Amino acid sequence: MDVGAAIVLVVLVFVLLGAGVWIGLALMGVAWIGMELFSPRPVGDAMAVTIWGASSSWTLTALPLFVWMGEILFRTRLSEDMFNGLAPWLERIPGRLLHTNILGCTLFAAVSGSSAATCATIGKMTLPELAKRGYPESMAIGTLAGAGTLGLLIPPSIIMIVYGVTASVSIAQLFIAGVIPGLVIAGMFMAYTIVWSLLHPDAIPRPERRLTLIEKLKASRHLFPVVALILAVLGSIYTGIATATEAAALGVVGALLVAASQGVLSWRTFVESLLGATRLYCMIALILAGAAFLTLAMGYIGLPRHLAEWIHGLGLSPLALMLALMVFYIVLGCFLDGISVVVLTMGVVLPTVQAAGIDLIWFGVFLVLVVEMAQITPPVGFNLFVLQGMTGKEITWIARHAAPLFVLLIAAVLLIYYFPGLVTWLPRQMM
Amino acid sequence: MRALLDKIYLGAGYLAGFFMVLILLSILTGIAGRLFGIDTPGMDAYAGYSMAASSFLALAYTLRRGEHIRVTLILQQLGPRGRYALELFAHAAAVCLSFALAWFSVRLVWQSYVFNDVSQGLDATPLWIPQIGMAVGAVLLLIAFVQGLVELLITRRTVEGREVTAPIE
Repeated sequence: MDVGAAIVLVVLVFVLLGAGVWIGLALMGVAWIGMELFSPRPVGDAMAVTIWGASSSWTLTALPLFVWMGEILFRTRLSEDMFNGLAPWLERIPGRLLHTNILGCTLFAAVSGSSAATCATIGKMTLPELAKRGYPESMAIGTLAGAGTLGLLIPPSIIMIVYGVTASVSIAQLFIAGVIPGLVIAGMFMAYTIVWSLLHPDAIPRPERRLTLIEKLKASRHLFPVVALILAVLGSIYTGIATATEAAALGVVGALLVAASQGVLSWRTFVESLLGATRLYCMIALILAGAAFLTLAMGYIGLPRHLAEWIHGLGLSPLALMLALMVFYIVLGCFLDGISVVVLTMGVVLPTVQAAGIDLIWFGVFLVLVVEMAQITPPVGFNLFVLQGMTGKEITWIARHAAPLFVLLIAAVLLIYYFPGLVTWLPRQMM
Repeated sequence: MRALLDKIYLGAGYLAGFFMVLILLSILTGIAGRLFGIDTPGMDAYAGYSMAASSFLALAYTLRRGEHIRVTLILQQLGPRGRYALELFAHAAAVCLSFALAWFSVRLVWQSYVFNDVSQGLDATPLWIPQIGMAVGAVLLLIAFVQGLVELLITRRTVEGREVTAPIE
């Protein structure tokens, strides 16, 4: 009966999603049919109450605000500023301006919650500038695709808010937990770029005129707005002055101030950013609504508990469990976007994770890492879509050149497995 | 008819944007209240209600703009006839599901009103009031999907306005 229920539900998920039913509605459909078949509870009213509760929960309010903040910053000159501020410092490192991709994404990730937005905002500046200077296209696009995924890991992070709300974990702690792994991965990406450049010395253009230290410092003033925003958002969370939601509100105000100071804040750009954020959040909200209902239905059917007991009974080692979950998420991530992957599986996987005694903050970071991989795996990967739109290259071409960074992300998962302190140390230092 | 409906969706989209601003203002009011020691009860709840209203009111508008995501992997592999058949299935399923969502969202408002359901938080809002946003948005989504299905049958365009046989981005 139980195995039967599981098979029916999995088949339903595949049929509805595969047929191209809008994802949030497809999840609702699976939940509805599952509940009708395997539970005596009346379905419709339970659905409406659950969806209302999930859609109006205040812990989630950080999400639309961070989305809006990203939409405002996308319309500012922040990416130009960051390029101009970073470039002078990178002429001596092998790979030179290729690092503007990685460092730019790392910095921007600290004010942006989404991988696609990070990719689009940084790439809007670096791709044309790198192409103009003759940098190899494959490396410019590949490193951007990979580094853009840091938008998810380095706080603020939309996916962490989604996970935190679903798993009832402190969003502020999750955010802070992502900082060190994010910096480590940025370091790994830079190391890869350096090694590649040393192996292909002819591919990297000659350095431009060396600037004096004073000139470099002067150029760095361009970085001031982004650094100020990072301090306002992350600083207020880390010191405990603000909750994640309040930090998001401050972030929106800060982004508006940056836009105003650059003279790009008109009524039109304000409304455009607002409607853009409204649509993007609405798309996410529909998926979250469907997922909330699906989680409820799964709970009634008792599937997650049985799955947890079954996996527990297998007696897997923690490493084996983690590797199995990683493979499972990578496969799922090939066909679905990150948020859908998380919300679709959370209700089922979480009891298993808890039964295995895995720290939920650590698991959140693990989950973000595998979702990062999902952003750059074909055929469905949002960073690939963004870069396809920007460069006109084939998705498979982009994915091939992002593949080394995909491998580095897998290495990062092993790293946080063997050194869990990378994740758990910083949140413990919070007040 | 079509132009009128699109205007309604757009209007609801602007309203959704207005509620997005209200989320921000509710949170900022809460922060300001704490800074200046003024009691501002229930601001968290108002932010949540605004968020629900914003997301639901924007549903139809976002749908017509083609920004609700779905898996197009199989659609892309099919020939024109198979694609049309599958689109029909997806649109019909969406009509059924959005009907269920709309029906029970409206019923939720009605039940909250009849049973005088009040928020458990400090705001003590009668819940049927904020739930109206959800009901209106869900009904608009249903209308948009019904319109989408009809247009698919007549003009062979999807609810996003894409030709069934056109390449998918």
